[in-house]
Amino acid sequence: MRYARTVIVVGAIALGLLLGAALDPQGLPWVGSERLSAVFLLDGQAYFGHLEDTPFSGTIVLRDVYYINDASKVTTDLPVGLLKRGSELHQPVDTMYIRRDRVLAIERVTASSPIGLAIAGQRALDRGTK
Amino acid sequence: MTRRPAPDSIRISRRTVRIGITVAVVLLALLAIVGLAMAARANEPVTIASTAQIQVQQAAAERDIERAYEQSGEQVSKVHALNLPISAAQADQIALKALTDLRTLRHSAFLSLGQVMSMAAAEAETYATATDTRFDQAPVAKQTASPSPVLLAPRFYSIVARMSELATLLADQATTQLTAPPPSSSPSPAPSGSARPSASPSPTR
Repeated sequence: MRYARTVIVVGAIALGLLLGAALDPQGLPWVGSERLSAVFLLDGQAYFGHLEDTPFSGTIVLRDVYYINDASKVTTDLPVGLLKRGSELHQPVDTMYIRRDRVLAIERVTASSPIGLAIAGQRALDRGTK
Repeated sequence: MTRRPAPDSIRISRRTVRIGITVAVVLLALLAIVGLAMAARANEPVTIASTAQIQVQQAAAERDIERAYEQSGEQVSKVHALNLPISAAQADQIALKALTDLRTLRHSAFLSLGQVMSMAAAEAETYATATDTRFDQAPVAKQTASPSPVLLAPRFYSIVARMSELATLLADQATTQLTAPPPSSSPSPAPSGSARPSASPSPTR
């Protein structure tokens, strides 16, 4: 009886791991490097951050959120600038709930991309890297 | 020999015990899932830029600040070189003030850059002065090699954006002052209808 229980529990865990890995091996906790996501909305706005996509929920959650700003009048190399969400007038906390039906696409951000490097740079500055 | 319960003891059926154990197991499983999710979120790996990557960002921010300074300075110089309605002495004074303000603004921007890089006040001042000198000797506009474009970290970007905004404001103010007609001391005579030439002369035959 005890043996049967052990087999059931181990089997369930193995099946869960297998299914999870089949969906996204990088999605397992403590596996791989940072997972930054880009969320593109139907209105053209894009947000970048850590995505929590819970099944059967009407919203997705984005944490540590950044977004692109028009910088055509700023003398930067690129006509866009990256801003961290939180400095707006209402100073939102670092969690953004986005209605699932407003999402056009979700993509993974590469760490070596300009967005990935700029976010990594911001973190280094926040931590007081010299 | 059989054990009989004491007359005042409570009897719980096996079914109730099973249900209780099941509920407890489910609650424990839920707690474990929530705890695991929280632990996973707390320990999620994050990428932090290396010193070399930060130096690339810093160099790009310096270039962007200098570019704002040079563009605004050039605007003031170009307007100053025009035939202006004010006297040459006045124009010199306005242009000199604008260029001095722009220099001060650039120095402040470099100082802010140093502070963002966690430099001490004295160190940031030294860094700002050295960067001023470096760009005075080799302006961005005269540099032939253009490095690959860099998307700035938000803290660097906010300094560059502020510098651009204020430099444009200073240059526009100077342009307005340089091109504004001098205030006349005597009232201008009212135009008389007879002396004024016709805008569209009628053809004569």
